[in-house]
Amino acid sequence: MDHNVIDQSKDITILEVLDRVLNKGVILTGDIVISVADIDLIYLGVKLMLSSVETMEQLKAGNSGQEQRFKIAK
Amino acid sequence: MRNNLIYVYCLSNCDPSIAQNIADEGLQCIVSGNFTIITKCVSDCEFSEENLKRNISDIQWLETHAREHIEIINRIMKRTTVIPFKFGTIFETEESLKKFIADYSQSLTENFEHIAGKEEWAVKMYCDRKKLSDQIDEYSEETASLEKQIMASSPGKAFLLKRKKTELIENEMDRLCKYFGQKYYDEFKKLSDSVSLNNLLPNKFTGKVETMILNAAFLVHKKNLSDFNKTVNQLSKENENSRFFIEATGPWPPFSFISIKEKQ
Repeated sequence: MDHNVIDQSKDITILEVLDRVLNKGVILTGDIVISVADIDLIYLGVKLMLSSVETMEQLKAGNSGQEQRFKIAK
Repeated sequence: MRNNLIYVYCLSNCDPSIAQNIADEGLQCIVSGNFTIITKCVSDCEFSEENLKRNISDIQWLETHAREHIEIINRIMKRTTVIPFKFGTIFETEESLKKFIADYSQSLTENFEHIAGKEEWAVKMYCDRKKLSDQIDEYSEETASLEKQIMASSPGKAFLLKRKKTELIENEMDRLCKYFGQKYYDEFKKLSDSVSLNNLLPNKFTGKVETMILNAAFLVHKKNLSDFNKTVNQLSKENENSRFFIEATGPWPPFSFISIKEKQ
């Protein structure tokens, strides 16, 4: 298979990882699970790391579209 | 320090002995019905509700553990179909974990059927608006014809028309971004079983000067993978040195295509 432009694992940004592992997958609660409010905190952390000011609101606004994504699957 | 909590990475529907073999060091396989749950014993010093909340606000801690989460699932995924769990899903006892799996077994089985033999691929597309703006007349008849009018006009009229063109360029760039984003999306969609559209991320987060115009995940059947990759390569080549380019990553665990329903 021709893989030359497809990036297998390097340069996967932390944002891309977080976007998957925090927002998706089996999301029903275990006995302990990170809550939505905590996820906002995480994006706050990422925001601080990347020294961005205005994007927080945009990302938060983006999170509200989350429900729709799960419905597409089945 | 006691390792008294159960951290869940993913679920597999393969034979438990195979799962145990793949999972190897530090991981534990718990069998529940037809499923094998890949877990690790973790300490409440790190993962109790209170400590987990504190730790995830530490971006270094989060990055290390989030990457580990995905790496372990990736490793299992190379050998068998997996349903990935969200980062930080913790159970206090094996009983409560098994009860959870039993409660949702119907839905989990349906999800396994949906993702079997398929891979999740992410495609992002970007536009270099500065370059596009510089060469807009090659793409847009409207701006090109306005440019002709400007050339043929008196200095006063040309000044007004240039202002009009500046506004038109922005609109035309928006239209072109939508057009190319949709066109590429359609190409990949044809080769996919399911699609999940994700939010466009702002430049501050992508760390790029180019604007993201498409952010999607595709669930691709293995028989279509070769064509999918060819399409990625072909579209990338078409766009060498151009205003639009794509980035494809994968295979990812099928995070974007898991949908668990409450039991009836």
